Amino acid sequence: MSWEVLALALIVGAANWGFRTLPIRFGLGSGAGPGGGMLARFLAAVGPAAIATLFVASSLPFVQAGAVLAPLAGTVAVGAVWVWRRSVVLATLAGALAYAAGFALAG
Amino acid sequence: MGDRQGETFGAGIMAAMPIALGYFPIAFAFGVAAVGAGLSPLGATALSVIIYAGASQFLALALITSGAALPVAALTLIAMNLRHVLYGPALMKAAGEGAGRRHAWAWGWGLTDEVFGAALGELARGRRFAEAWMFGLGLPAYAAWVGGTLAGALAGGGALAGWPVVEAGFSFLLPALFLALLLSILTRPQVPVIAVAGLACVAGTLAVSSTTGILGGMVAGALAGVMRRGA
Repeated sequence: MSWEVLALALIVGAANWGFRTLPIRFGLGSGAGPGGGMLARFLAAVGPAAIATLFVASSLPFVQAGAVLAPLAGTVAVGAVWVWRRSVVLATLAGALAYAAGFALAG
Repeated sequence: MGDRQGETFGAGIMAAMPIALGYFPIAFAFGVAAVGAGLSPLGATALSVIIYAGASQFLALALITSGAALPVAALTLIAMNLRHVLYGPALMKAAGEGAGRRHAWAWGWGLTDEVFGAALGELARGRRFAEAWMFGLGLPAYAAWVGGTLAGALAGGGALAGWPVVEAGFSFLLPALFLALLLSILTRPQVPVIAVAGLACVAGTLAVSSTTGILGGMVAGALAGVMRRGA
């Protein structure tokens, strides 16, 4: 493990710890929720923007490769299991299973 | 730990079992991918111990192998996890007045997307909040994540070479995880944010590079959220 990778891990890990624990430590949440200010809108938007971006970025190689059946099966399975069970983990695993099945069928 | 706290801790562990069972294979895939990207098994496991955020760990591998500069990689990964700022306040609000937070510096580390979702769901179904329960909920998930990573890393980067269908399934874990996360936070007001972020990512990736697309998508989407009225 290079020093650069270790530094990246420590920086991101420290930020994660701060994001997850400090708002609780400083008593946020016992009163009103996030307001409608610019910071609240920014915080509310960053997560969805990041996840949407990463979904697109991780899906592009599949689209560029021209495969249709397996990615379609995986995507539909994620959506269907999410609607059914409301579980990120189960939806993720179902998507991977369906993709593998589609990959096998496509030969 | 007294009997009552022990029972509460045990209830947390039982509630965490589906999460732990789901985390293990995803973490295994991360361990395999990390070793395939050139990290040692110790290095791969260290990423899971220190970062403990699945999607951003996969992205970290992509950024490391693409040679992204440390500040760019760090800012990208931190931006991705910024949503966690909202989890603690949302949880404590659901826990109600007087909920314990003395040991939040420790159990708060376990507030991943799934653990947060499970905790909120249990509270909504009437469970009383307790810090011991939060420890019980978080520990199996963390152990499964770290253990799965170590198992995958020890299996090695070529572990799946003789199993192309399994390897294909693992290759889709990342987009599947992102899509499931996206569905889990999807609300009508966030649709413009998601659309702008996705379009900017495609444009940036096709016009310049994948790193530019990722950064551009995040920034454009966040700005779309800031500029939107009545969020």
